[in-house]
This record gives sequence, structure tokens and C-alpha cells, in this order.
Amino acid sequence: MSKRLGLIVALTLVVFAAQNTMAAQSLPPANQWIPQNAVISLELTRPKALLELLSGEKATAAITALPLYQKQASTPKFKEFLNLINFMEITLGTDWRTGLAKLTGGGITFAVCPEDTVLMIIDAEDEDMLQKFHEILLNMARSEAEKQEQPNRVESTQYEDVTAWTFNGKEAHAIIGKRLVFANRPEGLKAVLQLRARAASENLTSKAAYQAARRAAGPDSVATVFADLLILKNIPDIAALLEQSSGNPLAALTLAGIVEAVRDSSWLALGLDCGESKLIFRASVDGKTTASTSPVAFAIPNKSGEGILPNLSVPRRIAALSLYRDLHSFYAAKDDLFPERTSGLIFFENMMGIFFSGRDLTNEVLIETKPEIRLVVAEQEYDPAIGTPQVKFPAFALIFRLRHPEQFNEVAEEAWQKAVGLINFTRGQQAMPGLIIDRPFQGKTKYTVAYFSTSGIEDKTNLDPRFNVRPALAMPGEYLVLSSTDGLAQDLIDALHQETEQTPKPLAGTHSLVELEGGRLSSILEANRKTLIQGNMVDKGSTQEQAEANIDLFISLAKFLDRAKLSVGVQEGLTRAQLEIKLNLQ
Amino acid sequence: MSHTRRDFLKAALGASTLLSFASAAPNFLTRSVMAASSRRKERDTVLVVVQLTGGNDGLNTVVPYDDDEYGRNRSTLRLPTKDLHKIGSAMGFHPRMGAFARLYKDGFLSIVQGVGNPNPDRSHEGAMRIWHTADPVRLNRQTGWLGRAADSVWNPNTTNAPAVFVGPIAQPFALNAENVVVPSIRSLGDLTAGQIPGYPNDQSQSKHTSELPRSDKGNSLLDFLQHCTLNTYTNSRRIEEVAKTTANTAEYPSFQLAATFRTVAQLIRADVGIRIFFVEFGGGGIGGFDNHANQLGNHCALLHQLSESVAAFVHDLRRDKLLDRVLLMTFSEFGRTLKENGRRGTGHGSAAPVFLAGGRLKGGLIGPRPSLTDLDNGAPKFHTDFRRVYATVLDRWLGFESRIVLDKQFQPLDVLNV
Amino acid sequence: MVLQIDKPPAHDQSKQIHPAVTEKLTDPAWAWAAYQPDAQRPWTLAQAGHLYQRAAFGANWDQLQQALSDGPQRTLDKLLRPQADIAAFNRTYDEYDTGSADSLRAWWLRRMILTPHPLLEKMTLFWHSHFATNSANVKNARLMQQQVQFLRSHALNSYRAMLKGISRDPAMLIWLGAEANRKARPNENFARPLMETFTLGPGNFTEKDVQEAARSFTGWFVLRSQLRYIPREHDGNLKQILGQKGNFTGDDVIRIVLEQRATAQTLVHKLYRWLICETEGPDAELIAPLAKSFAKDYDILKLAEKMLRSNLFFSPVAYHRRIKSPVEFALGIVKPLEGVISTTQLAQDLADLGQNLYYPPTVKGWTGGRHWINSATMVRRHNLALALLKGSGPYGDKLNPWTVAKKHGCSTPESTPRFLIDLFLQGDIEPDVRDALPKIAKASAGADGGDLAEPVRRFAHAIVTLPEFQLA
Repeated sequence: MSKRLGLIVALTLVVFAAQNTMAAQSLPPANQWIPQNAVISLELTRPKALLELLSGEKATAAITALPLYQKQASTPKFKEFLNLINFMEITLGTDWRTGLAKLTGGGITFAVCPEDTVLMIIDAEDEDMLQKFHEILLNMARSEAEKQEQPNRVESTQYEDVTAWTFNGKEAHAIIGKRLVFANRPEGLKAVLQLRARAASENLTSKAAYQAARRAAGPDSVATVFADLLILKNIPDIAALLEQSSGNPLAALTLAGIVEAVRDSSWLALGLDCGESKLIFRASVDGKTTASTSPVAFAIPNKSGEGILPNLSVPRRIAALSLYRDLHSFYAAKDDLFPERTSGLIFFENMMGIFFSGRDLTNEVLIETKPEIRLVVAEQEYDPAIGTPQVKFPAFALIFRLRHPEQFNEVAEEAWQKAVGLINFTRGQQAMPGLIIDRPFQGKTKYTVAYFSTSGIEDKTNLDPRFNVRPALAMPGEYLVLSSTDGLAQDLIDALHQETEQTPKPLAGTHSLVELEGGRLSSILEANRKTLIQGNMVDKGSTQEQAEANIDLFISLAKFLDRAKLSVGVQEGLTRAQLEIKLNLQ
Repeated sequence: MSHTRRDFLKAALGASTLLSFASAAPNFLTRSVMAASSRRKERDTVLVVVQLTGGNDGLNTVVPYDDDEYGRNRSTLRLPTKDLHKIGSAMGFHPRMGAFARLYKDGFLSIVQGVGNPNPDRSHEGAMRIWHTADPVRLNRQTGWLGRAADSVWNPNTTNAPAVFVGPIAQPFALNAENVVVPSIRSLGDLTAGQIPGYPNDQSQSKHTSELPRSDKGNSLLDFLQHCTLNTYTNSRRIEEVAKTTANTAEYPSFQLAATFRTVAQLIRADVGIRIFFVEFGGGGIGGFDNHANQLGNHCALLHQLSESVAAFVHDLRRDKLLDRVLLMTFSEFGRTLKENGRRGTGHGSAAPVFLAGGRLKGGLIGPRPSLTDLDNGAPKFHTDFRRVYATVLDRWLGFESRIVLDKQFQPLDVLNV
Repeated sequence: MVLQIDKPPAHDQSKQIHPAVTEKLTDPAWAWAAYQPDAQRPWTLAQAGHLYQRAAFGANWDQLQQALSDGPQRTLDKLLRPQADIAAFNRTYDEYDTGSADSLRAWWLRRMILTPHPLLEKMTLFWHSHFATNSANVKNARLMQQQVQFLRSHALNSYRAMLKGISRDPAMLIWLGAEANRKARPNENFARPLMETFTLGPGNFTEKDVQEAARSFTGWFVLRSQLRYIPREHDGNLKQILGQKGNFTGDDVIRIVLEQRATAQTLVHKLYRWLICETEGPDAELIAPLAKSFAKDYDILKLAEKMLRSNLFFSPVAYHRRIKSPVEFALGIVKPLEGVISTTQLAQDLADLGQNLYYPPTVKGWTGGRHWINSATMVRRHNLALALLKGSGPYGDKLNPWTVAKKHGCSTPESTPRFLIDLFLQGDIEPDVRDALPKIAKASAGADGGDLAEPVRRFAHAIVTLPEFQLA
């Protein structure tokens, strides 16, 4: 297939429709024409909603402003593409946005069936336009075939009283009313046409798993994906991926049974909603709620109504994570979770043994934490009097909720000071400067900070990376804050006071929530631009110009993102995940 | 050369495989195989050194269960006598070291007790440095004992790597050499030559470039490089064959350490001239055998992995009649204190047992058991200088001159049947 | 369809190094005189490649062609004193902030690839091995960066100034365990390598000289990564070093060791092994005039210039009488192919080959020579070349021999092999070996003509894994 025809066929995948033998309203929904053995289906029920968002004026303006786009736009290939679009616009007598909307407005249905069969059904709004469009493609395909001296590659035949076409001898398609049916092999088209002829026969919609998945995806979705996991899990690569038991305690703690849920599921459903500058993806699997005896039960709330706390807001926040994880039961199950001891785990236990004066880590330390755990990452503000590091790391803090704060506060304080003391002792042995401990107040809360002094340093604008760290411990109310900087600790003390006043409501049924702020992300990337560029040069072997373009693209993409929010939990026996993306197209 | 090995090479490098090796010619390989068999007049013993990082608690590994001091000082860590694998009437292996106990009974394992050094250092870094440099006096010595051993046997026509480190961490200092490059590898793939996909197969009938004669320009460097290139591709082919033919025949447990031993066994089987293998267990840095807290469970898991993995290695070699060529020795930077600390762990100590495994051992317990009442800062005292163990493996096993490596002659131990 | 590599032209360059003149090479006056090409000893592609191999990290096709037309001495003018704005380049590359020596390795390799003054980097590498300091012990990337930066700034200047600076270099003193040198306990950890490795060489001093030198250096400390001199810790009493008596300081020791004939001889000998030949040492008579002149001013540029311009350098004594170090091997593939690659990855791969920049094995640096080579390092050279050339994986498709061949007008299955053999080996290859290289078959005739990229990659890989390519 020549490159040009490839381009047209690719376009065909997105666009299409026509014919006038039947009235559109008499056609059944497209998913009833999909064979029951489909492994994956993707249904775009309202393509126009997506088109409005992605090809709307704001988005177009934002995309065309990208340096990458401008570079691409000057290539001959891109010009050829634009010419084709122009040609189409003139022939169809409309602009490409309207054309695309009219050709696909009734919906797009896409399915992958066994034996590498791919099906696509497109419902047009404008029958005449679909036919005109098909004519154009037909003419192009014919002239291309003649150029290749294989004119009989383009042919048509009658099947089940429908005219079926092929442009290259491999693909097959047909137009029925406003509907275009496309298959990558003739057998695929045959199967669809047979379903059309015998309307009552078994199709995808009569499959129980599909019905359950559609319900889970929500009826108003702009797009829905269904995946038959029972079949997909037999694919060796996927099976291997799911079987991989993670040897990394931190990863196991963070992922908390998501892999297990997929392993136990028979289907996966994905729904997409979109609104003004906003996309929402919802994923669900039907894996059983983890048994309370399983080692991964530490992420499942015991009582209904329990769940994570909302994320904390602090100034300059880049990201926030809220988890529901019972550390006590997690650590008690460590032998089942990690049969091979890593040296890191043993070292961790050694240190905890020292810091907590021999208290049992599982039964005397971790048991003091409640399952609501939060993490906040924020951009730092540097005091020029203290100094600014060359490389600017974000500050991050962990927030635990304590069961018996009044008994545990001093235990934690002692452990923390021991840790600082140990660091100082070790650094001193290597003739390196240590941390100075201070105990100031934020409002009425006394907290502890340890910092490196910069008083002997003349040039305070170009400090070592270690000056990004001013570790702090604060225990406002029933919370324990472990922060990499005192600045973030102060903000969190304020935020926690505010939260306590308003009594936070837990998000029931959710065990993980991540939020990301695009504006702040781009800001911290910008602050480290030079370092990132140099890193890109040595890591990728790019020229300075290429490295600058790469990093700047990354920064501008981060700017497009206003915020993203991912939540995962178990609701009505299903493991559900929701990703909400808000775009910034100003 | 034993019959088994010759048979193996014949099988491994049979005519069909010779033809399939990319651009290599049959006669090129056959010639190299012949060269390899004539080389066999040299000594071909192999030493496998296993580092147990962190300071292994010898007292809970080979347990002096009948000593009241043991029970008295270990209130939470004491191992129940009934669960031990007894060695005679006074000692016993840790309950999870059944595999070691069987090796011991069959004469494939010896225990050298009370090994240490006269200038003990209780910091990990300092003590490990001494074990690595074999120099308790010059603490900033810049070469390791195995690195010096590799340098000592180098000659200008050497084309095989004398020693390798197998593992995922940075190369331990013991292998630091002044001259020789000692490779670190993670898997067999690091020692086999890859090809750009689509390498034409019709090249097999022509000669490989490295075996074509070069006109003599009096450049000995070129001769050397040509010889080495030839040897490189022969070795690569052998390793590939071994990997193919023995991939799933030997049974190893699923531990990472066992996988490392499997790689070592395959390299021994491929017979590519490596005399010294170095393997690390415990992570090489922090943690590992350094059980200051919650020792019982962690130490138990580590000893089980060690015991099962070494046993699988011994059985694998034995089945192929290679065990007589192999001696394995373990070491750790120090033992631990007799008395446990308040965190259900132990502190840094001094003397500890060294395990030897192989097919040519006299077997048994070597040296007296260190006293539990005459202590050095709370830990059993050493009576056997660690350099005597080094001298044993260098002089008696590898046939290297230990005096050059260790600066003076240490009395080897009488532990080997050679 | 398989096509033959076209036969080399009549003036076969594989016989270009002139054996006829070998007997004259023992005469120092003739050996060190500047090489002027003549009918008997013509200026060839192989000579140009040899020069770029030793005075740089290899050459690309344009550089080789330019050198052919410039002749040896003019090419050397450019290599020794380039016209480009070196100061601007060095400024850009000196501005690099990092907390890790690992990223310094990557940054330096990138610098070696892109520098307009490759001889400077080659010599910095030489001094990095001479004053070998291992970052694993120093544990301070900034000090390591400062040390190599210092070595670079003196690499082609005065050895006297360099040695003095090194005696006060915090990284060096930390690495040797000489951070504290007290009057009551003189520390020999710097004095010993100073005499044994940096200057006189073994056998040219006594234990007593080391002890007395250590006393002279008392008072010098490295405290919190900074050099400090504490006068009350200095032993101001009489010392006797190498036959001289006085109340010497460290600077006096530097002066005294530089006054010894052995020092200049040792250094000239070491540079001879680096620039000319590592297979056999030159006899004392050959070295003598250079050592004598070097001892006067310790001007490194002058010494290097004398060696590189000489008849000896362009003779069989030097040609292919060195084994490429891992850095030279890898850059010898990268430079001719005119690409820049991931040097983060390369630094790691070179460490596996035995040359871990910023982490030399001992204070004696990399011994090199035949020690670089064994079947494990050779298979890794093979695999590194594969990774560099295969067009995917960690190095991506930054190097494409087919594109380079086409750029220089060689786009057929006949002309490309010839071009690559000239580019990588300057045509110096035995006909039998050349014939045994994999053939470049024409790709299946497609609409857009045969794309030879893949077969050319295989061909290039076969060249750079030849024993000949390991020689510099």
C-alpha cells in the first residue's frame, strides 16, 4: 500500500458513512452487529462531544501554538496532508470540522475479535456526504491501483444483498444506509452482515459480561470500552504481567491489591465523559472484593463509610496523595508478601529498632497509626537570606493519623531526634557538616526542624542540593507530619487545623486518591530547566537545541493540564478507578 | 580432561551447531576446541567465594547448644535444641539449614571455626575492607586479595578472564586489581556475543575474520588480539550452548542467590578458563546479615536461602562430575556478640565460622570451638587468622603463590584432599 | 543478490607505513626531527588516521580528507593550537552542577565527543590516569570536578605547576588518606606516590627520602573538604631529601623531585607509551634529548608537540603499537559516524569494559595495554559496538553508518564497504580479511530503491570487532 493510500485509509478509520437503500432509523444499534466473541470493544456514542473538546477553537489554538506543532507543520508530509484536507473540504463542500462531525456524528463502534479481526462501524449523520466521501476514496484507490498495475485490487461483490467493497484486496467494507462497516479481513465483514441479516441471533449485546460492563461504565458515557479479561488473561504476556509478584514492599503498599483485583476479574469496563475542558475516565473490573484474610486486605476499609480523607490543600501544591492503608496489618503480613528478605527491609528494621528503643515495629509502633495516610508534594519557597540551591527539589510530607496521640507523641519525637542524631554522627565521622535542631512554634503548635547552616557560605545563590532539605516533625492534634522542609510543615499545620475545624468527611469506598496540579508542575520544571536540559543532553545524546525543545515541550504539556485526579476504590463489589482531567487551554 | 567433559564439549559443539554460528567457520571452532583441550594440562580448579554481607551471627548458624552461656545470653534468639540439625553432641546447624546438614554428613561441607583477624574492626566498612584487602595493617591498601591473585597469574598471552564477579551490585573491593580488568556480570548474556538481527546465514561456509592469517608485520599486539578474538567467540559459543542444553535440567530454588549460583555453575560447565568466581549475598551494603533487630525471623530466612542455594549448586555440579574441580568458601566481615541486645538482635562481633563446600574436602569441623566465656568485647575470640584460609585456597587449591598475594607465607589449613 | 566489495585502487594504502626507514629510527636526531613526507614516506590516509587516533579520539571523514590535503605539519598545527573558540566551549562545559561523579563521567564523555580541542581532552585523560584519584573514596563530586578541571587547565602547560597544585588538591589528599599530616605523626600517604608514581619512579629514591618528604609536608590538612595549612603542625626542622639538606617545606620537595633527572625521564617515558608506542620501552639514548629539554621547563605542550611531529611518530615503531582503551574504542566508533550518543549509558558500559572514568582502580591509574583485553572484555566490546550500531535500544538510532556513507557520496553496495573500511581503518586491512567480511547485499528491490541501512550496520559492526580495530 502506498503511503498516500495508507493515509487515506487511516483517515477512513476516523471518518466515514453513506448509501440510500435503507432509512437510518431502521438500523439497530451498532453493537448488535458485533459478534459475541469480540474480546475488546470501543464505542464512541457521541463523537461530536469529543470533537468539540479536541478540535474546538481553544484546543486548536493551544495545539497550534506548540513549538512541536509548528515544526511538524513545516514538513512536506504535513503540507501534503493539508492539501488532502483542502481537497476534501472543496469536494464535500464543507469545512473539515463540520464534515467530520457529519460523517461520524451517529457514533463509532470498534471491536477486536479473535484471529486478529478488527471491525469498525461508523454511523454518519449525512448520508449524501458519506457516499460522496466514499466516491472520493474509491477514485483515489482506483488510480493508485492502476499506478501499481494491479487494477483488480479494487473490486466489489454482493453478499447478503449488500455491496461489499475492497480497496486493496485485504480489507472489506460496505455501506448500509448511513452506516459504514469496515473490517480488516473479508471474514470480519461477512460476520457483521450475517448478524444484520438475522437480527435475533447472538451478538455482543447478548453477552452477560458485556451487559455488566456497560452498566458499570454508565449509560451517558461519550465512549465505552469493554474488555473480556477471561480471554485476555490467556495471552502469555498479560498472564506473566499479572503473575509477577512484586518484591518491592513500597510498590505493594501503593498498588494495594489492584493487580489482584484484575487477576480475579472477568471483564473490564471503561467509560469516558467529557465537558467543557474536561475529560473523565471511569474504569471498573468485577474482581471480588478481597477476602479479609488475604494479605492485601490492608487497603480495604473494614466498616462501611470508612475511606480515605480528602487531600490537604497547601500553597504551591504540586501533587497530593491520600491512601487508606492499615500499616499494622500490612507489616504483619510481610512474610506472606515478601518471602525473600531484602537487605533494605532488614536495614529498615535495624533502624526502627534503634529509633523506637526496641519497641516491636508491628505491634507497638505501626499499630499506633490509623489507616488514613496522606502525602503532599509542594514547590518550595526559598528565603534568600538562608540561600537558594542550584537544583530545586520539591518539598514533600507524609501525614499519619494517630490512635493515641497523647501517648505516642513523645515516642515519635524521640525516634525522630535519634534519627537526626544518627545522621549527624555519621556525617561527622565523614567530616561533613550536620543538622542543627530547633523547636519553633507555628501558631500554637510546637514543631521540630533540623537544618544545615548556610552562615559560612558566601555565595548563597548556588547551594548544594542538600539545602533543599530541612526535615521537620510536627504533631498537630491527632496527626503526625513528617516533612522534608519546615515550610511545608508550617503550611500543613495550618491546613490540618482548618480541616479539623470543619470535620472532614471520609470518601467512603475509596482507598487511593492522587491529585496533580499542572501549573505547579510546569513551574518547578521551569525552575530546574537548565539541569533538566543538561540531563537530557547526556542521557539521550541530544544536542542542546534538541534538549531544550524536549524539555520545553514537556513544560508546555504540563501547562495544558490544569489538574488531574485519579481515585481508586471498591464500590458495590467492583474495583473502580476514576481519572478526571481538567485541561487548561487559555 | 575427564571423559565427561570431552563428551560434553563434543555434544555442545557438534557439527550442526558449528555451522549455525553466524559467520564462524567449522574449522575455526574445531581448532579452538582442540586448543582448549590441550590447554587442559594446566590446573583447572575453580574457587567460588561467597560474601555474606552484614556480619553473620555464627552462634545462631552453627549453634553450641550444650553451652549454658549460649542459652543464658540469648533469651529471645535461642534456637530450640530439638530443632537443630546435630553435629556431634555439642553443635548443631540452624533449624532451617537442613540442606547444609546433609552436605556436611556427605562430606561436601566443612566448617572452619573461629576465623578472624588480629586487628579486628567493629565497623562494617573497616572490617570488610580488611577481609577484602587481606591487610589488617595498611588500611588504605588499594588492591583486593583476589585482584592481586588475578594479577599474579597474568602473563602477556593470557586471553581468559581469571576472575569474575557475578551479581547485581557494585564489584566488591576484594577483586580490585592494579592491572587486570576483572569483569562484573549479571547473567550469561554479558559473556555471549550478540548479533545484529538478520545476520546472513550463508556466511557460515566462509572463514571467520579472526582466524585468517595476517601477514607478519612484526606486530605482536595484533597476534595477541587475533588470538584473543578467536578465543572470545569460542567461549561465547560454549556459554550459549551450555545455557541452551542445561537451562532447565538442574533444580534450583527460586531465590536470587540460587539463580546466581546457577549462572556460576553454567560458566564452570562451559569451561571458559575462569578460576575465581565471587558471589555476594545480603545486598553488599546496609542490612543483610546485620541483624540488630528482629534477628530471629530475618536471619532464619537468610540462612535458609543460603543453605538451599549452595546445596542446589553442589548437587548440580556433582551430577555433572564437576564438583571435584570446585571449592566454595563463605566469609562475613565479622561474627556477632554473644549477648543479644534489647531489640531482639545482636551487635557487631569478631570471630565467625567459614564454610567450605566442594568435592575434595576432608570434611568435619576444623579448629576448636571458640569459648563463650573468654570473650573479646562481648564476642567470641578468633583463633584462626583469616589469611590462613586465603593461603589454603590460593596455594593448595588454585595453585597460586599465596606469598605474593598476602605478602608473607601463612600456614595453610589441612582441609583438602588434593 | 550479493555483490563484491570493490577492489582497492592500485596505490594500496595497506602498505603505507614505510619499513624501509626502520634502521634510522635508533638515531635520536633523525627520530625526533619533524616528519616531512617524501616519495619514500608519503603522507597517506593511514598516517592521517594514526595521527587523529593518538592526538584525538578518531576522525570523521571530512577531517581525514582535510588532513590529507593539509599535510602532516599543518594538521598538527590545528590539533595543537585549534582556531576555534575553545575558551567559549570550555566555559559552557565547566558550568555543570551535579552532586554525583556518575553524571560527571557522562558530561566528560560528551565533552570528549564535541570538543574543538580533542588533544586537550586526550591529555586530560592522560593526567587523570597519572594522578589517578578514585571518587569512591573521595565521596565528593565537586572536589572531583575541581580536580579534573584543574588537570585540564594544566594538561598542556607546565608540569611543575600541575604537580604543585596536585600536592594541594583536596580530592587527591582524601583519596590517598593524607587528609591529616601532623608534626607528631608524619603521613607518608602522599609522599610515597609522589616519588613512586608522580615523579621519580621506583628505584630512584629510598624509604628515608619518603619519610623526610612526609615530614616536609606536615601541616597540610583537608578539613571539611577544604585545604588548610596549620603552621604549628609543620615540622620546621632539618631534613635530607635526595642528597639535599634544608628546613624543607612541601614546595621544596616538589622542587627537589623535579630537579632529578629520573623525573623527566620517567614522565617522558610515560608520555611515550601514551602517544607513541606501548609495546616496548624506548632505549635511554632515544629518550635522552627529550628528557633533557623537558627537565628545563616541564613544558608539556612542547614535549607533546615534539613527539607528535616526529619521524618516529609516523613510523612503524608507533603505528598500531597501542591497544585502544575502552574510551578510545567507543569514541573511535562514535566520532567517525558524526553522532552524539547517550553518554550516561556509555559511561556505564565503559566501566564494564574496565575504564570507569573518575574511578581508576589504584593511584597508578589504568595500566592498560594488553591488560584491557581478555575474552570477557572482548565480548563486551563486541556487544557495546552492537548496541551503538544496531539503531535501537539504549543508544537509539544516533549512529547510522549508511547515512554517513550516503552523505559522503557512497550509496551503492560497492562503494559503501570501501568507504567504511577507509573511514574506520583507513583502508589498512588484509585483502583476505576484507573478503571475509559480511557482504552488503542489496535490499529487496522496493519502490523507493534499496535501503541498505541494516546490512551496512552489520558490515560496520564486523569492521569494529576486527582485531585490527582494537589497535590504535
